Amino acid sequence: MSPELAAAGVALAAVMLYAMFGGADFGGGIWSLLAWGPRKQEQRLALEKAIGPVWETNHVWLILLVVTLFVVFPTAYAVIFEALYVPLFIALLGIVARGAAFAFRHYGQRESRLARQSLQWFSWASVATPFTFGLVIGAVTGGHIKVDGSRVLSGPFAGWLGPFALMCGLIGLLTCAFLAAAYMVPRTEGALQEDFRRRAIAASLALGVATTVAIPVAAADADAFASHLDDARVVAAMAATALLGLAALWALWTRRARLAPPLAAATVAGVVGAWGLAQHPYLLANALTYREAAAERITVVSFLVALPIGSLILVPSLWLLYWTFSRDTLRGEEIAH
Amino acid sequence: MEFDTLLSARALMGLSLVFHTFFTPLGIGLPLLLFIAEGLALKTGDQRYRQLARAWTPVVGLLFAVGAVSGTVLSFELGLLWPRFMEYAGGIIGMPFSLEGFAFFTEAIFLAIYIYGWNRMSAFAHWLVTIPIVISSAISAVFVISANAWMNTPEGFRVVDGQVVDVNPWDAMFNAAWLHEAIHGTLASYVVTGFSVAAVYAWLLWRKKPAVNARLGLQLAMAVAAVSIPLQIVAGDFAARRVAELQPVKFAAMEGQYETERGAPLRIGGIPVDGETRFAIEIPKLLSYLGYRDFNAEVVGLNAVPKEDRPNELLTHLSFQVMVGAGFALLFIGGWYWWAWWRRRRAEPGWLPGRWLSWALAASGFLSFAALQAGWFVTEFGRQPWVVYGYLRTSEGVTERDGILVFFVLFTLLYVVISAALIVALLKWPHGPKQPARLPGAAGKEAEGVA
Repeated sequence: MSPELAAAGVALAAVMLYAMFGGADFGGGIWSLLAWGPRKQEQRLALEKAIGPVWETNHVWLILLVVTLFVVFPTAYAVIFEALYVPLFIALLGIVARGAAFAFRHYGQRESRLARQSLQWFSWASVATPFTFGLVIGAVTGGHIKVDGSRVLSGPFAGWLGPFALMCGLIGLLTCAFLAAAYMVPRTEGALQEDFRRRAIAASLALGVATTVAIPVAAADADAFASHLDDARVVAAMAATALLGLAALWALWTRRARLAPPLAAATVAGVVGAWGLAQHPYLLANALTYREAAAERITVVSFLVALPIGSLILVPSLWLLYWTFSRDTLRGEEIAH
Repeated sequence: MEFDTLLSARALMGLSLVFHTFFTPLGIGLPLLLFIAEGLALKTGDQRYRQLARAWTPVVGLLFAVGAVSGTVLSFELGLLWPRFMEYAGGIIGMPFSLEGFAFFTEAIFLAIYIYGWNRMSAFAHWLVTIPIVISSAISAVFVISANAWMNTPEGFRVVDGQVVDVNPWDAMFNAAWLHEAIHGTLASYVVTGFSVAAVYAWLLWRKKPAVNARLGLQLAMAVAAVSIPLQIVAGDFAARRVAELQPVKFAAMEGQYETERGAPLRIGGIPVDGETRFAIEIPKLLSYLGYRDFNAEVVGLNAVPKEDRPNELLTHLSFQVMVGAGFALLFIGGWYWWAWWRRRRAEPGWLPGRWLSWALAASGFLSFAALQAGWFVTEFGRQPWVVYGYLRTSEGVTERDGILVFFVLFTLLYVVISAALIVALLKWPHGPKQPARLPGAAGKEAEGVA
C-alpha cells in the first residue's frame, strides 16, 4: 500500500469516526427538537447529559479530517473547499451557532431566557449542519463538479443541489438520528428508554429505506457513484452493512440494550466505508484522484509517522474519557454544569 | 475602497481571528490557574483554593467551547478563503497543523475529564488532570504559531519553475521565526489571563459584589500576571531584534522608519503618513540600539522597497505602539499592586486595593487584550502584501469565488450575537458565596478528598 493510499484511509477513518461520534451528537440535537410526549423535558435532559462530557472531543474528528486533507492532499482541500464554498460556509455557520448555543445552555444558568433560546439555536443547527454535510458528501461523490488541474470550472451551485446530493443530506440526518437514539437506549431506563428505543427503530427503518432508494437515484443523477456499484468490494461492503443494520434492528427489537449502540455504530461505519470504497481512487469523483492531490512524499510519510505517535497519547486518553462517563445512567448523580 | 473578494476575504479572516483570539489565551492561561489553585489546596490543605478552582470551572468550560468552535472556523476558512495559498503551502506547513490537532485533542479530552470529574476522583487525581491540560494547551499554541512564523520566514522548500520542490516539513516547522513568535505568543496568554481574571475580581471587590474567595483569586491572578509581564517585555525585545534581522521592512513599518539611516531614533507615538512619521517623540539612536544592539547600526527604511511591496505602515505602526504602550502600562499596574500589597500586608491583613488601584486593575483586563490583539495585527499587517513572505502575494492566495462579502456579514452577525450572549452569561454568573455548595461535590465530600 502506498503512503498516499494509507493517508486516504486515514481521511476515510476520520469521516467514519466523525459520523459515529459527531453524528450521535447532532442526533442529540435532532431529538431535542423533535422531543414529544409526556417525557419531553426528560428526553432533552437525558440527551444533554449524555452529550455534555464528550461533545468537544466528538468534533475533533472533523478537525482531523480537515487537517489530513490540507496536509496530505492540499490540492483536494483547495479544490473541494473552493467548489463547495456555499454549503461549507453554511455548515460552518451551523457548527458555530450549535457549539456556542450548547455551551451557553450547558454551562450557563439553567432557567434563564438565554438557556431557552440557546436550545432553539442548538436544535435547528443540529438539523441544518448534518444535512449540509450530507449535501457536500453527495456533491463530492456525484461527479458534477468539473475541474481543470486545480482550477474549478463548474459554478458555485454545481453538484450539491441535485437529487443525489439531497438524498445524501437526508441520509446524513437519518444517520445522526439513528445513532443518537440507539446510543441513548442503554443509558436510560424505564419509560424513557422505551421512548428512545422506539425512535431508534423508526430511524433505522427510515435509514434502510433511504440508503436503498439512494441507489436508483444515483443511477439517474450520479454516474460517478453509480458506476462503482458493480465493483465486488463495494457490493460486499454494502451487503455487510445491510446485515449489520438488520442486527442493530434485531437488538433494538429484542431489547438487547447493550448491543444496540455498537451495532448501530458499526452500521454507520459500514455505510461510510462502502461510500469510501465507491470513491476509490478519487477524492473528488471523476476529477481528482488521491494520487494527483497528494503533497510531496516526505510530507505524507511524516504525517503517517506522527499519527501513531500521537495516538499513543490520544487512545488511552480517549478510553479514559469514555470509560469515565459511559457508565452514567440517568439515575447517576447530578453532573456539574 | 471597493469591497472586492480579496478585501472581503481578508476582512472575514481577520474578524474570525480576532474573535478566536479572545478565547485562546484564556484557554491556555486558565488551566495554569487551575493547576496552581488545586496544587496550593493540596499543599496547604486550605480548601478555599479548591473552591476557587471549582468556581472557575464552568467559565473555563464555556470559554473553551466557544474557542474550539471558532477554531474550527479558521481551519475551514483556510480552504474557503485561501484555497490557492493552501494548495501552495498545505504540504509544507501541514506538519505543525497536524501536530496541533493532536495537542488540541488531548486538551479537549482532559478538560472534559477535569470538568466532569469533580465528584469522581480524588483531589490529587483531579489536580493531576490539570497537568496535561496546561502542557497540551501551551504546545498547541506553539504549533499554530510556528505555522504563522513560517508565513513570515518561509523555509523548508525550493521553487523551481513555479513548482514547489524539495519539501522538508521539519525545516519548515522550525523556521527562523518560530522560536521568538512562540515564546512571545504563549507568554501573552498568561499575561492576558492573569490581568483579566484580576480585573474581574478587582471590579467585583470594588463594587462589593459577593464572590467566592475574591481576595484570594485576585492575589493568585496577580501573581501569574506579575511573573509573566516582565518576562513578556524581555521576550518582546528579543522578538523585535529577530524581526529587525529577518524582516527589516516589517520592522521599518512597525517603527515608522522611512529612510535608511545609521543611528536611527526610536519613535514613541506618531502617525506615519505621506512618507513621514509626524508628531512622534524621538529618542536619538535608540532604535538602532534596540534593533541591533549598536547605537550606530544601519536601520533599513520603508523607502528601500517599492511601494507595492510594503505593508500598510499606518496600521502596523499604530498597532505596534498600542501593543508596547499597553505592555508597559501593565508592567506598571502589576508593580503598583504588589508594591501596595507589600507596604500594607502587616498593618492590614484584610487589605484590598483602593479606588485608583481598583480602577487600574479593572482597566488592565482591557489593556491586556488590547496588547494581544494589537500584537497579532503587527504580525499580520506587517507581513503584507505577502501571505508567504517573499513568495506568494495575498492576492495570489485568495479564492476565485465571489460573494464572500455575504458570508462576512453573516459571520459578523453571528459573532455579535454570541458575544452579546457571552457577556450576558458572564455578567449573570452566580458569584455569590452559595455557589460552591450548590455545585456538586459539596464541601463535606470534598474534605474527605475521595468523592
